[in-house]
Formats: sequence, C-alpha cells, structure tokens
Amino acid sequence: MFIALSCIIMTIVIYYFSKLLYRKIKFAFLSPLLVAPCILSSLLVGFHIDYSDYDSGGRWLGNLLQPAVVGFAVPLYKYRKVMRKYLKVIAVSMTTGVTVALISSGLFSHIVHLQSSYLLSLLPRSITTPIAMAVSFNIGGVPTMTAIFVIVTGISGLVLGPMIIRYLHIKEKLARGLLLGMGAHGAGTSKALEFGSEEGAAASLAMVLAAIFTLVFAPILTPIILL
Amino acid sequence: MKKIFFTAVQVAVLYFFALIGNVIVSVLHLPVSGSIVGLFIVLALLYFNVLKLSKIELGASFLMSEMLLFFIPSAVAIIQYKDQILQHGSQFLIVIILSTITVMIVTGLVAQFYVHKLSGKKEEV
Repeated sequence: MFIALSCIIMTIVIYYFSKLLYRKIKFAFLSPLLVAPCILSSLLVGFHIDYSDYDSGGRWLGNLLQPAVVGFAVPLYKYRKVMRKYLKVIAVSMTTGVTVALISSGLFSHIVHLQSSYLLSLLPRSITTPIAMAVSFNIGGVPTMTAIFVIVTGISGLVLGPMIIRYLHIKEKLARGLLLGMGAHGAGTSKALEFGSEEGAAASLAMVLAAIFTLVFAPILTPIILL
Repeated sequence: MKKIFFTAVQVAVLYFFALIGNVIVSVLHLPVSGSIVGLFIVLALLYFNVLKLSKIELGASFLMSEMLLFFIPSAVAIIQYKDQILQHGSQFLIVIILSTITVMIVTGLVAQFYVHKLSGKKEEV
C-alpha cells in the first residue's frame, strides 16, 4: 500500500516536472511521454525496485485511461455537425489509413527480417492499447509485445506528427486531427488537442474509428501480409 | 476548490460509464474495449439530452489534457522486456517509425485532398 502510493506520487511529480521542462524548451524529443518513463525506469533500476511493485501503484494511473477515452464523447458531441458534413472524407481517409497502417507495418517488418510472431504483434500497433492487444491475440501475435509497440508508436507519433504537418503544409483542421488520431491513437489525440479543439475532435474520432476498422480489417489482411 | 471537487465527481461519472462498458463487453463477449462502449453510451445520452454536457465537460477536459500521464506506467513496463529490446530494438524502432510516418502522410494528404475537393477549392501546394 505504501509502495503503491509512493509510486503514484513519484509518477505524478516526475510527469509534472517533465511537462514543465517541455513547456520551457519546446523540443519534440523532450515529450513527457519520453522523458518521464526514462527517469522512472532509471529510478526503478537504480533503487532495485521491482516492476511489479511499481505497477501496483502505476496500474491505478493507467486505469484512468478508460474514463479518458469515455471523455472523448465530449469533443465528438460538440463537433457532430462538422463530422456529419465530412462523413465521406472521414470514411475514405480512415479506410486508407488503417489499410496502410497494417500493410506498412507488415512490409517494413519483412524488410528488417523480423520473425512472424513479432511481425504479427506489430500489425495493430497504431490503435489504442486494449483493442490492439485483442487484435494481436486474434491474429496470433503476442499481446504484451503489442502493448509496448503501441506505446512506442504513441511516442513516435507525438514527435513526428507535428513535423509531418509542418513539412507537408497540412492546413485543414480535419486532416491534422485525422492524421494524428490515426497515426498515434490517444497520444496523437492529446497532441491534436494542443493544436485546437476541432483538431482534437477529429483525432478522437480517428482514434475510435481506427480501432474499430482495424478490428475488422486485420484478420482479413493478415494472410495477405504473411505471403 | 469547488472546481477540483466538480472535476473529481465528473471523472468518477466517466469512470462509471467505462465500468458499465466493461460489464457489457464481458457479458456480450464483444471484441471492442469497454471504454469505447462507454464512449458510445455517453455520446447517445448526450445526443438524446438525457445527460447534460455541463455534467461531464470539466472532468472530460481534465482527463484529456493530462492523458499522457496515464500512458506513463505502461511505458515504464518496457523495462521488463530488456532482452527482446536489446536483441531486436533497432528493428522494432525502424518498423514503427517508418510505418508511422507512412500512415500519417497518407492519411493527412488523403483527408486534405478530399476536403479541398469537397469545398471546390483548388489544391494549394
């Protein structure tokens, strides 16, 4: 109980410290999602704290991801008229995005010669963790490895998303949101909210749709990817 | 102080809907996660005016703005997989980074192209 509580407090303190640091030095590689876990893991290793002890507290923070996902109903509801207007755009972009996510993950895994258990675990990496793990299990991957790939995807997307938006001159709010939510699930969505509330709404929709589409497409596309 | 209290209550309300979602998922053996089911329940309740936006807005915006915090424990979990990371880490990174770039570029460009087409604007480069 004491360990769990101190792990929660330690995580929150380090998170706010890294958030402050990020705000001072606006450098993409200093994202709190990269800095805080690095500090925490070095503390765990340095003080010989077992991961399972840390997780007894960390789990409670991780659980808050569930109400956070439910909370995305708010931006979706607020921008429902815009969403309805662009229904076709959203459907086409998301179908393309999900297909490209699955095929490119498979293709690049082939290129770097990863064995098929890793390849299958990488396929659903661009969607939110619980569904990614379920998809991974369905297609024969290793769900815990998938959970790691999902996190690394989130970190990559946080860093790369804004760069891509800048270099490709993506000016449409809808396109920015869809790109971030499709490419980097919840982490991308939190970045989209930094751009603005409309981007955030588009990203939350993209996150939800990406998860549902992947659930349907992954079992169909997996045999083709494995060829 | 009042704001903190309301935020906490609203977070609890959202948590409650996530739990309902979890129950529905496990009873009906749905392949989606409970929180997504919870999201659709809340969306429906908002749409049919059963739930007022003001009853959850504060809690939702707090959770969304601090969302990275909730990802941190699972990011720390990576240290459990030292061996696999040491052996294949660079391959994993190459796949994830290249694929994320590809997905983001394609999704962004397709969406932007269609929005422009819809609004009848010529595509600006």
